Amino acid sequence: MKKFLAYLLAAIMVLSMVSTAGASELAGTYDITVWVAAEIVDLTKAQIEAYNQSNELGITFNATVEAVSEADAGTNMITDVEAGGDLFCFAQDQFARLVQAGALAKLGVKAGETVAAANDPSVVAAATVGDTLYAYPLTADNGYFMYYDKTVIPEEHIDSLEAIIADCEAAQKYFSFEMQTSAWYLASFFFATGCESTWETDAEGQFVSVKDTFNSPEGLIAAKGMEKLVKSPFHLSSSSGAEFSSNAAVVVTGIWDFETVKGILGDNMGVTDLPSFEVDGTSYHLGSFSGCKLMGVKPQVDPVRAAALHQLAQYLTGEQCQTERFNERSWGPSNSAVQASEAVQANPGLAALLMQSPYSVPQGQIHGSWWDIAKVIGDDVKAAADEAGLQTALDNYYDKISALFTLDTSALLFVGAWNGWNNADQEETYYLKNNTLTLDVPESDYMGGRIVNPGDWGTDKGFAQVTVGKELIKDLGADNPDNNIVFAEAGNYTITINGADINIIKN
Amino acid sequence: MKQYTDLEYLKLSKGQRLLYRIASFFAAIPGKIGGLFVGLWNLIKTAAKAIGKEASDIWTTFVHGDWKTKLSYLVMGFGNLARGQILRGLLFLLFEVVFIAYMILAGGYWLSMLPSLGKVGPTEEYNIIFDTYVTTYNDNSFKILLYGVLTIFFIIAFIYTWRVNVKQNQLAEKIIASGKKLKSGKDDLRSLVDDQFHKTLLALPLTGIIIFTVLPIVFMILVAFTNYDGTHDGYYNNLFTWVGLDNFNTMLSWTSGTGAGTQSYAATFGEVLSWTLIWAFFATFTNYFLGMFVAMAINKKGINLKKLWRTILVLTIAIPQFISLLYVSKMFAKNGIINGFLMSMGWIQQALPFWEDPTWARITVIIINIWIGIPYLMLITTGILMNIPQDLYESARIDGANAWQQYTKITLPYMLFVTGPYLLTSFTGNMNNFNVIYLLTGGAPTNPAASSAAGTVGYTDLLITWLFKITTGAESQYYLASVVGILVFVVVAVISLVVYNVLPSIKNEEDFQ
Amino acid sequence: MSEQTLQNASAPARRHMGLKASRTLANTAIYVFLIAISIIWLIPFVCILLQSFRVESTHQVGYVIPQKWGFDNYVNLFQTDFPRWYMNTFISALVTAALQTIIVLCMSYTLSRFRFKMRKPLMRLMLILGMFPGMLTMIILYRVLKDLGMTQANSVPGLILVYVASSGMGYYVSKGFFDTIPKSLDEAARVDGATRFQVLKKIILPLSKPIVIYTILTAFMGPWGDFVFARYIAFGASAGKNVAVGLYDWLNKDQISKCYTMFCAGGVLVAVPVTVLFMCLQKYYVEGVTGGAVKG
Repeated sequence: MKKFLAYLLAAIMVLSMVSTAGASELAGTYDITVWVAAEIVDLTKAQIEAYNQSNELGITFNATVEAVSEADAGTNMITDVEAGGDLFCFAQDQFARLVQAGALAKLGVKAGETVAAANDPSVVAAATVGDTLYAYPLTADNGYFMYYDKTVIPEEHIDSLEAIIADCEAAQKYFSFEMQTSAWYLASFFFATGCESTWETDAEGQFVSVKDTFNSPEGLIAAKGMEKLVKSPFHLSSSSGAEFSSNAAVVVTGIWDFETVKGILGDNMGVTDLPSFEVDGTSYHLGSFSGCKLMGVKPQVDPVRAAALHQLAQYLTGEQCQTERFNERSWGPSNSAVQASEAVQANPGLAALLMQSPYSVPQGQIHGSWWDIAKVIGDDVKAAADEAGLQTALDNYYDKISALFTLDTSALLFVGAWNGWNNADQEETYYLKNNTLTLDVPESDYMGGRIVNPGDWGTDKGFAQVTVGKELIKDLGADNPDNNIVFAEAGNYTITINGADINIIKN
Repeated sequence: MKQYTDLEYLKLSKGQRLLYRIASFFAAIPGKIGGLFVGLWNLIKTAAKAIGKEASDIWTTFVHGDWKTKLSYLVMGFGNLARGQILRGLLFLLFEVVFIAYMILAGGYWLSMLPSLGKVGPTEEYNIIFDTYVTTYNDNSFKILLYGVLTIFFIIAFIYTWRVNVKQNQLAEKIIASGKKLKSGKDDLRSLVDDQFHKTLLALPLTGIIIFTVLPIVFMILVAFTNYDGTHDGYYNNLFTWVGLDNFNTMLSWTSGTGAGTQSYAATFGEVLSWTLIWAFFATFTNYFLGMFVAMAINKKGINLKKLWRTILVLTIAIPQFISLLYVSKMFAKNGIINGFLMSMGWIQQALPFWEDPTWARITVIIINIWIGIPYLMLITTGILMNIPQDLYESARIDGANAWQQYTKITLPYMLFVTGPYLLTSFTGNMNNFNVIYLLTGGAPTNPAASSAAGTVGYTDLLITWLFKITTGAESQYYLASVVGILVFVVVAVISLVVYNVLPSIKNEEDFQ
Repeated sequence: MSEQTLQNASAPARRHMGLKASRTLANTAIYVFLIAISIIWLIPFVCILLQSFRVESTHQVGYVIPQKWGFDNYVNLFQTDFPRWYMNTFISALVTAALQTIIVLCMSYTLSRFRFKMRKPLMRLMLILGMFPGMLTMIILYRVLKDLGMTQANSVPGLILVYVASSGMGYYVSKGFFDTIPKSLDEAARVDGATRFQVLKKIILPLSKPIVIYTILTAFMGPWGDFVFARYIAFGASAGKNVAVGLYDWLNKDQISKCYTMFCAGGVLVAVPVTVLFMCLQKYYVEGVTGGAVKG
C-alpha cells in the first residue's frame, strides 16, 4: 500500500540520488555516542577514526565510545531512548523488545539491500521484522558448546551425557550447564527432541502467534533428560568458564570464554559439541541456540544525521571491521566473505560451534517474556517428584506462554491482504491500538480481509459483526464462511471496537 | 473481651500486659474503623467549615479594607508596598509575576494535557533524499504527568501565598489602627534568625523534600492508574493514558490466567508478602539479640582489647555491601569455598544446597544477614548498656540473682523500653532490605508457580526486589510496580500502626528530656 | 553460640567455685567466643584482600591463597577509568557529607527545639512518606535530573542534589540526640538575650560534636555503596559513574573473567577511606548513635 509505493519511489530516487547528492549533503562533524562491549572499546575508537580518515562523504564523527554490556544495552535503551547511544550493540534476545520500544531506526532501502547481500541469511533474518531490517549484523557466534577437562572426562565419554555425569560424580567435580537461571541454555534439551517455540510478529514487531511444543510428548522426553542432569549433586547452574578453577570438569558456554578456559586448563582443555542423552533406549543429541549480536541505530529526528549514522553503522559492521574484530578479539563474523576466510575456518572455538551447528536452531524473533517464563523450567524439573510432576512443569510453562496472548482480550486484529484474502502470502495484519485503527484504502473493492479475535486467528474463526457502517463494506458472506469483507470505496477509514461491536466510519 | 481496671492491669505480669494490650488493640479495631468513618466525616465537616470561614474572612477583609487592601487582592504585595514594607511587598509581587508568567508560558499547557496525557504519539517518515527513516516525537505523556503535577503543586502554593497576602493586609490595618508601627524589612530579617528561626532552618530541607520526595511519590501513585510500561513509554513508542483501577484489579484479583499453572497475582503477592514478613521478623530479632549479646560480651568487665573487637566487627559497615555480599554469596555457592572445605574435611559427601533449595536459601540469607547486622546493633547497644545504672545490678546481685536473672529482669526490659522505636524502624527497614537479598540471591531459587508476567519470582524475593524485577523485566510494567509499591506502603503503615498502639515508649516523646 | 547456652554454662559453675575463678572461666569463654566471631567476620575481607593480590589469573577461582603475588591489579586499575570514578565518588561523598549534615541538623534541631503549629503534622507526614518504597521514585528522579542536565557525564552534581535533597527525612537519630540536651540551657541563654541563632551556635553545637560527626560519617559513607540509583543516573556514561557502579559493571558476564581480581583491588581501595575514618571516629559514632537512635 502506501508503504509499498514509498519503497518504489524511494528505490528509484535512491539509486539516482544518494550516491551523489549524499556526498555533499552529509559532510560535516557529528558528535555521537557509541555503546559497545568493553573489550572492543579501543578497537571501535580506532575504527571510527579510520572511517573519519577514509570516507569520501566528508563526514567526521566526534565519537564518545562507552563500554556498555551487550546484555544491558537493550534494558538501558528501553528505559530512556533519548539518552541512549546513537549506535549500540546488543545481543539478539533483546531485539524484539527494542523494536517494540521504538529504540531501533529502520534501515534505508539501499542499506538494507547491501546488508542483506553481505551477511549470513540466518543473521539477516534475525534482524528483520516484516520486510524491514532494523539492525546491522555484528557477529554470528552467539552459540554454546562444551568445554571439558581431559583429565576427568575421557575422550570416549564425551558424546554421552550420562557417562559425563557419572565421570563428574566419580571425580567429585562439577558439570556446569546453566539450567536454572537461563532459558537460552535450557532450551538445549528441548531442541534435542525436536520441540520448538516459534514466534510470529506482524510488520510492526508485535507478536501475533506462537507455535510452542515444549509440553508435547517430546517435551516430556527432554524434561526426563534434563532431570538426569539437574538432579545430579554435581550439576552446577553456571555458564562461566572460570568455574574450571572452582572444581568444574565440564562447562557449557560460548566462544567468549575460550581464553579464560585455555588459561586454566592449558593442554587439558577439550572443546567439542554437546553430548547426547538417552531416554527409553533412544539417543538425542543436545541442541542449542545459534544467535548473533547486532548493532542498532537510535531513531533520529534529523535526516542528515540519521543518514550519516547509518553510513557509520554500515562501515562498522562491514567486512573490514568484522575482520579486525575477528583478528583481535576472535569475534565470529556474520559477514559471509569473512566467514569464508581460512583463518576463521581454522579457529578452534568456531570449529566447535561448527560441530554443534547441525543441531543448533537459529534464534529467531522471540517474545521478551519467553526468557523469563522458560527459565523456570530448570527449577521446576528439579523439584518434580515423578513423571507427572515433569508434565505439570511443562504444562505450567505452556499456560504462561499462551497467557501472553490473552492479556489483551479486547484487542482485535484486522487481517487483510491486497486483492482479497486468498492472496495469503501478501497478508498484512493490523493491530487495533486502544481499540481503534485507521486504514488507508486506495481503491474500491480493496483490502479483502476480516476482523478477528487474536485468540481465534489461525483457527479460521471469523468475527465480523459490523454494527455501524455496514454500508461501507461488502460482506463476502455467502461463499465465505469466514466473514471476509472488502471496502466498497477508496478512502480513509477509522475502525473502532466497542465490546463485541465493530464500527466502521469513513473519514 | 474483659476490660481490666488500672489496678488489675498493674497486677499482671509483663507478658500478660503485652498480651492484654495486643488483644485490646484488636478488640478495638471495629470501633476504630467506625471511628475512622466518624473521624473522616468530622474532618470533612471541619474542613468545610474552615473553608467557609476562610472565604467569609477573605470577603469581610475585602469589604472593610481600605483601597490598598482591595488592590492587593489583584496585585499581591501592593498593600505591603504602599504601607512601607518594601521587602515583603516585593517578594509577594515577584511571586505573582513568576506564577503568572509560568502559567502562561508552560503551566497552562501541562494542565490542559493532564486529563488525556497526550494526544499525538511519535510518527515515523521515510526521507527519500537520504534513504533513511526519521522520527518526529510529539506529545510526551511522562512530562505531561510530571509537570502537570508540579503545576498543581505550584497553584496550591500560589493560593496559599495569596491567602497569606490577604491576611497580612488585614493584620497591617489592625496594627495601624491600634497605632503601632509595622515591622520593617530589617525586623523581618532579624526575626528569621530569632523567633521565626525555625522557618529559616526548615526552608531548605522542606523544599528538597517536596521536590525530591513528595513529588516523585505523588507521581508514583498516579502511575498506578495508568498503563505506563515498556511499550507505552509515553514518548518514544506509544503514549500512555489513564486506565482507572484496572491495575489494582489485576494485582488483587484471585482468578488466575487461562491455565491452571498460572497463579493469580494476588496469590503471588500473598506468598511474597508472607516471606517478607517472616524475613523481617527474623532479620530484626536475630540481629537484635545477638548484637546485644556481643555488645555485652565486649563490655564485660575484665575483657581487654575492647576497641580491637569493635573495630573488627565494624569493618562490615565500612566496606560497601556490593563487594562483601557478592563475595559471601559466592562463598556459599555449590562449588564455593564453604562447600569445598566441608567436603575436603569429609564431613559431607555432596555440596549443601545453600542457594538451590528454597528452605536452605531462606535460612542462609537470614544467617548471613546476622553477619551484616550485628555490628550496627553492637554499636547501638554498647552505649545504652553503659547507661544502665550499675547500682541496679549491685542490688540484684546482693539479692542473689544470677547472670541470667539479671539479664531478664534488668538488661532486657531496659533495652526493650529504650530501643522500642528502633525495633519498629528496623523491622520496616528490613522489609525493604533490597541490598541483602538482591546481592546474595537475586531472589533465587525461582518459584515456578508464581505469576510470570511480571518477571520471575523467587522464594527469597522480598516485595521490594520483586518490584525491582517488575520494572526491569521483559515488559517493564511500571504501572504494576507502582501498585506493588502502594501495597507495600499499606502493609508497612498497618504494621506501624499496630506496633505504635502496643508499644508505650514511642508515644511519649518528651520522656527523656 | 547462643547467649542462653553460654549463660547457663557459667551459672552452675559459679556455685562450686570462688567468685574469681568463675569470672576467669566466664572471661575465657568470652574470649574464645570473641576470637571465633572475629575470624568469621574477617574471613570475607581477608579473602577479598588476598584476591586483589592474585596475579596468576584474573577470574574467580576456587582457592583463597594466591599462587603468585603482585600489585598488578592495583596498577591496572589506574589504566581504566577507575581514578575518575574514585574522584567522582570522593567529591560527591565530601560535598554530600557537608551539605547533608547542615540539612539534617537544621531539620532535627528545629523539630527538637521549636514548638510551632505545623510541627506534629510535619513529623507525621515525613513518617508516612518514609513508608513508601523509594525504589520506584528513581525513574522520576532520573527524569527530573535529566531535564536539569545532571545525568550521564554530569551525574555528580545530580547525585549530590538527590542525596542531599531528601536527607531531611533522616532526622530521627539526631533529633533523638538533641532531645537529650536539657532545654533549660536554651532557656537560660534566651533569658540573657541571645537570639535563637546564637543559642544554636554558642550552646547547642559545641555540645553536639558526637551527633555532628555521626551525621558526617553516615553521609560520607552513603555514596560509596550506591550501585542502583547512581547507575541509573550515569546511564552508560563512564565519565559519570561512581566507583560502585564502575566496579559493579565489571561483574557483567562479558567482563567478569577479565576484571574480577581488579574488582577486588578496587573494592579494597574503596574500603580504605571509610575504614580509616570509622576507626578514628568510632567513639563519636557510638556516642551519637546511642544518644540518638534510642529515641526515634
